[in-house]
Amino acid sequence: MARMKFLCDAERCIECNGCVTACKNENEVPWGVNRRRVVTINDGMVGAEKSISVACMHCSDAPCMAVCPVDCFYRTADGVVLHDKDLCIGCGYCFYACPFGAPQFPQAGAFGLRGKMDKCTFCAGGPEADRSEAEFRKYGRNRLAEGKLPACAEMCSTKALLGGDGDVIADIYRERVARRGSKGAEAWGWGAAYGQPPKGAGAPAPVPAAPAGGKS
Amino acid sequence: MRTISRLTAGTALALALALPAAAQQAPAEPAAPQQAAAKAQQERAREQPGNNAPVWREVRSGQPNYTSIPGRETGVLIQPQARFPGQEAMSTAGEAWRNFRNGPVTFYGGWLLVLVAAAIAAFYFARGPLMLHDKPTGRLIQRFSVLERWAHWTTAIAFVIMVVTGLIILFGKHLLLPVLGYTLFSWLTALSKNLHNFVAPLFIVGLVVMILVYIKDNLPGKGDLAWFGGALAMFWSGKHVPSGRFNAGEKAYFWVGVVALCIALSVTGVIMLFPNFEQLRTTMQQMNVIHSLSAIVMMVLAMGHIYVGTIGVEGAYRNMRDGVTDETWAKEHHRYWYDEVKAGGVDATAPPPGAQAPVQAQH
Repeated sequence: MARMKFLCDAERCIECNGCVTACKNENEVPWGVNRRRVVTINDGMVGAEKSISVACMHCSDAPCMAVCPVDCFYRTADGVVLHDKDLCIGCGYCFYACPFGAPQFPQAGAFGLRGKMDKCTFCAGGPEADRSEAEFRKYGRNRLAEGKLPACAEMCSTKALLGGDGDVIADIYRERVARRGSKGAEAWGWGAAYGQPPKGAGAPAPVPAAPAGGKS
Repeated sequence: MRTISRLTAGTALALALALPAAAQQAPAEPAAPQQAAAKAQQERAREQPGNNAPVWREVRSGQPNYTSIPGRETGVLIQPQARFPGQEAMSTAGEAWRNFRNGPVTFYGGWLLVLVAAAIAAFYFARGPLMLHDKPTGRLIQRFSVLERWAHWTTAIAFVIMVVTGLIILFGKHLLLPVLGYTLFSWLTALSKNLHNFVAPLFIVGLVVMILVYIKDNLPGKGDLAWFGGALAMFWSGKHVPSGRFNAGEKAYFWVGVVALCIALSVTGVIMLFPNFEQLRTTMQQMNVIHSLSAIVMMVLAMGHIYVGTIGVEGAYRNMRDGVTDETWAKEHHRYWYDEVKAGGVDATAPPPGAQAPVQAQH
């Protein structure tokens, strides 16, 4: 069984925001919610600018799932972290806990009253029947049920954003890193999302297994 | 150090809530440290092409970077590192908060509440309530004014609602969810959240009024230190230590519980209740921790307060319900106050309206 993961290659991301647009369009995300966003570090500084596209990483030990007071999260057989909007009470705890800022709340009333949480579903819908109208309305497209991968990654013009089975995308990325001489080897966010020894908290998470024959 | 400064920032933010124009996020002009980090990356890229360590260091710092997506903290790729008390290593702030809330707060907090409740129950069954030594005289003294009683009961009822709903939000997943099932428990928790949020303003108003009307008689006075010495013995032997209108135990409850903890609960609660003032996640995590810890300690104190105010002390409940007390009760429990009332120093002897002494004395 696949274990779905996202990986963004900072050497390739050109900050076109195509993934953001693809996501909004594919899932008809409500106003004010952006399930995916692109962040640029050192914006405009020649030689120092790097961009990363980030959304829910579908963590192995998901903090959102752990803190939810009504236990509305669940993990699919593909390792995708989904939630049930019918159970969500809009408390905001998942938003406190998520390292990546994935959970968002459309404002449902005055004074910042939170509505039902919305986040990236890895284009896997929700608990409703696959590809049903109710599922689409609440969670967006269920592309996984259609045999497709997330729209953001499929749409990525430079193939910086990879989405799919963790083993497969790790292999692609490993080969890519080896080809460019072991440069830009960090699989950003993988340590926080998919587990690395906590001692490595100070160091960027390396790609699983060093590329063969790469320079140090 | 950093945590403390963040806490201070949180408190300052609470004050800033009063100002609508407060807390505008700084424009996306790169700050000095970010300029330096960018320089470091430029240099690194020249010396060791493909080494992006300075960029990742910048990302880990939790500083906002550029993004075209509007919203709070959207430019933060990953929450900064943090560590709550008792945690060995740093982790992302959200993870640290999750571990602290789901760990010590839930585990030790939960057991503390259970053990204190059990201890009070054990004491009640072992020793029983504190009874009056002499017969009631039937002569009533006014102990609490109408305003004092309204302030007390408004706050008390609001507090109990907050306690029940708060307990459901923190412990319900472990205790109620397995019994009720997902749908019903979610409905109950949504109700709890809304009650918690909408009763909160009533609680805060009641609290402010209560502090104002009770503060005068809760200032430290003669006999307070002696009372603490004799308090434990008193519960066991029934031998009273004389005190003023409020004894030192009540004063401690007032200052520690009502003033310190309830104000802390109100301030931290308001910061979490109104997320539309640009509070950062770190602030809300810290507020949540202070809120839960204060709430657990306050519940422990309140259990003691409710016990001695109801079944623990004969006649205590009627004082707050009707506002009057029997002379015998006043004499035995609050000797200095009783003397003052008798000497005419306190305007408390006037029979309050609606207090039909012979009938009500039978309660």
